[in-house]
Amino acid sequence: MIHIPDDVSLKTTVLAGSLTTISNKPVETFNESRIEFLAQLSRCLLAHQTSKTLPDVVTFAYWCRQANLMRLRSHYCHDRRLRMGLGMTFHICPANVPVNFAFSMAFGLLSGNTCVLRLPSKPSATTNLLVQTIKTLLDEPRHLAIGQALALVQYERNDDISKFWISEADGRIVWGGDSTVTHMRAFPCKPRSREVAFSDRYSLCVLSPPSILEMDEQGFKQFCKDLFNDIYLMDQAACSSPQLIAWIGNQTDADQAQARLWPEIVQIVEQKHTLQAVQVMDKFVQACRSALTGSHVQVVERHENLLYRVKLDGINPHQDVYRGYFGTVHEVVLTHLDELAPIVNERYQTLTAQGFDNALIRDWIVRHQLRGIDRVVPVGRALDMNIVWDGYDMVGSLSRLIDV
Amino acid sequence: MSEYEALNDMMNWPVYGLGQKQKEPVLLDALQTLTMHHQGVCPAYRQILEKLWRGRDFKSIENLPFLPVRLFKHERLLSVPQSEVYKTMTSSGTSGQSVSQIFLDKQTSAMQVKVLSRIMGEFIGPRRLPMLVIDCRATVASRRQFSARTAGIIGFSTFGRDVEFALDDDMFLNEERVTQFLTKYAGQPILLYGFTYIVWLHLLRWCESNKKHIPLGNGILIHGGGWKQLQSQAIDPQEFKQRLKTATGISHVHNYYGMIEQTGSIFMECEHDHLHASVWSDVIIRDPINFNPSAPGQAGLIQLLSVIPRSYPGHSLLSEDEGVLLGTDDCPCGRHGAYFKVLGRIQDAETRGCSDTYTR
Repeated sequence: MIHIPDDVSLKTTVLAGSLTTISNKPVETFNESRIEFLAQLSRCLLAHQTSKTLPDVVTFAYWCRQANLMRLRSHYCHDRRLRMGLGMTFHICPANVPVNFAFSMAFGLLSGNTCVLRLPSKPSATTNLLVQTIKTLLDEPRHLAIGQALALVQYERNDDISKFWISEADGRIVWGGDSTVTHMRAFPCKPRSREVAFSDRYSLCVLSPPSILEMDEQGFKQFCKDLFNDIYLMDQAACSSPQLIAWIGNQTDADQAQARLWPEIVQIVEQKHTLQAVQVMDKFVQACRSALTGSHVQVVERHENLLYRVKLDGINPHQDVYRGYFGTVHEVVLTHLDELAPIVNERYQTLTAQGFDNALIRDWIVRHQLRGIDRVVPVGRALDMNIVWDGYDMVGSLSRLIDV
Repeated sequence: MSEYEALNDMMNWPVYGLGQKQKEPVLLDALQTLTMHHQGVCPAYRQILEKLWRGRDFKSIENLPFLPVRLFKHERLLSVPQSEVYKTMTSSGTSGQSVSQIFLDKQTSAMQVKVLSRIMGEFIGPRRLPMLVIDCRATVASRRQFSARTAGIIGFSTFGRDVEFALDDDMFLNEERVTQFLTKYAGQPILLYGFTYIVWLHLLRWCESNKKHIPLGNGILIHGGGWKQLQSQAIDPQEFKQRLKTATGISHVHNYYGMIEQTGSIFMECEHDHLHASVWSDVIIRDPINFNPSAPGQAGLIQLLSVIPRSYPGHSLLSEDEGVLLGTDDCPCGRHGAYFKVLGRIQDAETRGCSDTYTR
């Protein structure tokens, strides 16, 4: 059992699970009862009426369905070596991507840990539905063991409480970008405790012009929907939302491919996306500022206010500081992928690619000894959360491999 | 016509006398001249035109380029040498936010005064009136830094004489001083000026909660500065006027809409609660999705145009307010030009993203 000081418990609201019975005893990774719990959570969420209006909840529920968890288990446990959790993990969860607390919880539980998660106080329909469903499940006798290994808590910003949990934790998972990571890192922790920290990241998309031009109409339409999802679903504010669109090839092909691609994207945005006035204003102000302070900015092509393309005639070594939101992409044409390598630093996270062989990209990453790019996925998958994320193997990072 | 003559000529335009058809060509000419002027001398403005407005013509008022008003919070935008800056105005700005900086040279500043006085003349007549400011003296004590409130009081004070302040520096109404002032000028028209929120909180609410009647039946109240704080209390302009009338007997109450970035060419509220563009200004309501002009009756972002700004590129600005164009040339008050109403500041949206988990 973990002894929790009165100061901490009095100022903490427990949303689900319990702090009084919580213990830091780990279990083996992919523990049977935990898989059962998550799989049942998946079924309950998918069956819930409210889920239909919350695509992020559906995505999570789909990810933690039984079949996917079994697949992950066989991937991790094929060598029959013994893996156990670290003990207790403490999670600082993000306010702006509410569903991520559920992924964070699943990663921690599957790794065999007792999980204490600090949820943001910002109200959200996603958080509500997830918390309520988890709470209901924990009341069932068969999930008694999970109830002693899980606590979803809230407290007002309070360094003393965070400090306490970090000092007790065997691992901490910090979402929320550079400032939160730096803030939490200042607190003392156990010598053996581990950290998984999600700092600010920058993501990009590489497109081969011929591959866009060669697509048949049906394939092209699907591709455009995928690219639209990557750019627009999180208002381009997620770490993995593409910021830079790099066309790799000759200018003539690129011109033609752009002429095919962007009008279709604009049409999808018009049909499927509602831009709020305040977002348009942010976008417009940012576009003006790009014109003034951006680097290599040739022109800001405005497709109404649905899509802004900041066209560059070259790339800056610090390209990752030039970000856009709500459908503002920076766009450049380069003759070869190699020209992109010098700008890739450790902040680069997701590379979405169309028309490039995975082997070629692997070779490119190795040949240029890149410090960044942790994910290479097809267009349309930029926002898919997974157990390998941000360069971390979550289970590997949050468990011990026991040499027996 | 020389530039000097052109400016002089402009100042003689009838305030609300030109129908939209006659007004547009003269206004367009003045605004195109300003666009070219800023393009020539303000590198930042030129950059924005080159990169965001490339290939677009500026042949009609609706086609003229506009800057987002918020840009003045991020950038120093200047169309005269720094040495000619005569006064720097700063926006009030919500707490914690950066403030706008507006750089005025002598000419722009003089035009602000001139235009404002022509507009005011239409509402208070040609003579200076005894003036009661619904604010405290401390607000104007620091004259180096101009907040919107300071600028408002000082700007409007030019239309008053024997200026008195109704509030003490702790923002409480000084009943004795106000009574003395009203006794002295009993039976004469007087000018009252204040920020909308201050008038509401420190005059109207004071009267109501103390059950006092302050006799302002001869007063003309000019108030502005926005309804933001009042909207949260669900007070609309009609109710504001009605309650003021009950508490003080005042029937001449005129709100104005304007921003520090376009001081001078304010939009005054008429007897029928409509805000009017004067001959030196105009409004265009724009659809946020594509910035196309919205039809009358349709809500959209308010773009403000003014012939005054020469020392900074602020003659065509897209505000963060939403409004509705109500009509043109046909307000029952008889004033020509466009008239509209303001719906309020655009609402903050929920921000997404991976950052800032620990800010609240």
